[in-house]
Order: sequence, then structure tokens, then C-alpha cells
Amino acid sequence: MKEIILKELKSELLTPRGYLWYILTSVILSILSYLFLTNIELSLLDQSTMIFFLMEAVLSLGILHSIIYGSDSYAGEVERGTMEVLLLTPIRKTSIAFGKFAVSVINWFILFLISIPYILVVGKSGKNISVAITYLFILGTLIIMIVTSFNMILSIKLKSVKNAVLVGMLVFFLLGTAIILPPSLKHSSFIRYLDIINPVAAAVNSFDSVVIDSEGFRRQVIRIVVILIYLAAVILLLKRASQRDELVTGAR
Amino acid sequence: MKKLLFILFALIILSHTVLARDSITVSIKPKHIDGKMGDVIEFESNVTNNGASPLKGLVAYISLIRVTEGQEIPMDLEDWSAQKADKIDLLAPNDSASSKWSMRLIDSGDYVVYITVVDKNQKTPIVSEVAELKIARRQQLNPNNVLPIAFGMPVLIILIFLSAGIYRRLRR
Repeated sequence: MKEIILKELKSELLTPRGYLWYILTSVILSILSYLFLTNIELSLLDQSTMIFFLMEAVLSLGILHSIIYGSDSYAGEVERGTMEVLLLTPIRKTSIAFGKFAVSVINWFILFLISIPYILVVGKSGKNISVAITYLFILGTLIIMIVTSFNMILSIKLKSVKNAVLVGMLVFFLLGTAIILPPSLKHSSFIRYLDIINPVAAAVNSFDSVVIDSEGFRRQVIRIVVILIYLAAVILLLKRASQRDELVTGAR
Repeated sequence: MKKLLFILFALIILSHTVLARDSITVSIKPKHIDGKMGDVIEFESNVTNNGASPLKGLVAYISLIRVTEGQEIPMDLEDWSAQKADKIDLLAPNDSASSKWSMRLIDSGDYVVYITVVDKNQKTPIVSEVAELKIARRQQLNPNNVLPIAFGMPVLIILIFLSAGIYRRLRR
């Protein structure tokens, strides 16, 4: 698995393309932070609301990276014609899958590290900064693991980067209702029911709960359980999908 | 006889004046506030029952209207973190109920603020006089020292990228 991680780090993250992702992510966070703190109306939001908005933005960027990375993981190898070579190496299929999975999580850790100075500066003199960073790290990592696994499964099943990205994005729009919808629509009972079974909403509502409402861990337990159930399910499915024999065949 | 008729007429006019006096009055103070964006200000309203019978279930609410020339529009108080309504369960005759209305000033301009009281037994709501509110602009170019981070982080990542490239070339 170590070989796969090193290979992926060198070919995916530590490349001009990978650095460009981080530079653009940093530019987006710079613009958002500056807007939050200087824009006439937004600058008058309280500090915890601004931290919450920034956490949503960081999580969304992380999810976007994971969708693209997860979608490219297998289908990209097939499209580039490198899948056979990879499968001929004496590395177990499960190790290949979880090596690629680990690189996506490392990518999230880098994004998270980039976001810390922004959270600190936006939340300066505010409350719940350490709580915000802790929850963003823990729940963000779990969500990134779910999204990566799901998109890797799509990548294996669809064998097309384009289709996997498209389906991944559509699913994100469905799950991202907690981030995308305006606050007035979030109060509808349908959205509330949807939020109960939606792992992304569980994470976002947990951010809201701990950062804006200063609620404790006990209020987050059910949300974390929902996230962990999804994580266990997608990891099992990824393990099963990665062991299929027809991984090298082209798009259907 | 003329004198008597005059006194009688005067009495009738006076009694009509007393009856016509509003049974509810509402006032707002202060009448003028000068503030800056970001300040939290407070108005106080006073609802008085001038009638002979108690009043139940009165609702008082605050309204904020921008009157800056060319930008006249009622404001959504949710954005101003203001308490929007206050319910007065029971107001005895000759009694008053005061309420405090705080709000965070989020945009500059000229505004008027007034309080409206609604009594479910009366067809017309009772409105206070308007209070003037002038909000000055507050310009912040580098709040929380955000500029070093906003410019520094992308530059730092570019420097790491360039250093990694130079390191790789030197190793070759």
C-alpha cells in the first residue's frame, strides 16, 4: 500500500496540477475571508457565523477535490491505459484501492492545514475557534472518506472519469442541500427528514450546532453515528468493488 | 339663557374631545440617534392604556424604513438582529408597558423607526411618532489583520511549489 501512496502522491498531488489545486483553493479562501471581514453587511455577522460559513466552504472544496480524485482513481487509469500495469504489480487489489483512498485523505489533510490560518483570522476574538477546527478535522475527514470511497466505486463501476465526476457532482448537489439551500428552505419538514439520513447535512448541522449554538458533544452523537454508518457501508462496498476481475476493461 | 346654552355647548364639545382621545397611545424614545455601522443601539417604546377597561393581547412591533434619497425602502429587521415584536398580555387602565428594541446597525444611511401597536378589538393600528436614525459608514480595509493571510497563503504555496521544483532539478 505504501508504494501506491508514494506513486499517487508523486503523480497526483506533488505535481504542478496538484499545486495549482492548492493555490486556487487558497485564493478562494483568501477572497472569502476578506469578503467575510470587510464586506459591508457580512462584516457585521458575528464571528461564529463567519467561522461556520468558512467551515462550509472548506468542506465543499474538500468534497470537490475528493469527487474528482475518487472519480479519476480507477477510470483514469483505464482511460490512460495504465490499469493493466498497475494490476500486474505484486500489490493486492485491496491495497491499491486503499492506497488511492489514503492519498485522497492526505489531500484533505493538506486542504485542512491550508484552511487553519483563515479560520484563525476570521474567528479572531470570537468564540469556539478550537471547537470549529476540531470538528472540521474530524467530521470533515469522515465526510471526505465517504465521498472518496463512493466516487472510487463509481469510477470502478462506470469506467469513465467524465461519468463518475458527473454522477458524483449530482449526488453532491443532492447531499449538499444543507450547504446550498437558503436558510428559509431548510426549515421545511421534507428537508428536515432528508437531513436525518444525509451525512453531509449531519456534518454541516453539527458545525452549526457546536460553533454557532455552542452545543456540546452529546447533541452531535446521532449525527456522528449517521456519518459512521455511511462510512462503514461505502468502505465495505469499495473493498468488494476493488476485488472485481474486470477492472482493466474499458468503458461500457 | 345664552350663557347657559354656551356652557352646555362647551360641555358637549369637551366631552366629545375626551371620548375622542385615543384609548391607546404609543411613544418612542429617543427621537434621534446618530450611530456608526456595527454599533448596537436601543429604542424604548411606551404603550399606555388611556381607556377605562383593561386591554388584552396587544402586539407591538418595530419598523425601520430607509429614507435616504433615492433608496427609500422598508428594511428586513432579521438582518439587523432586532427583536421584531413584543406581546403585551394585559394592560390595565392608565397603565403603561415599556419595551426595549435593540438593533445592530448594518448599513449606512438615513432611517426612520416607529412602533405600531395592534389591538385585535380595534380596526386601526396605533402608530407612534417616528424617531430618526442616522448611520455613518465604517470602512475597514484590514479587519482582523486579514490581508497578510489573504495574500500570504497563496504566495507561500507558490513558493513551496517553486522550491520543490528547484529541489527536484538540483537532485537530477
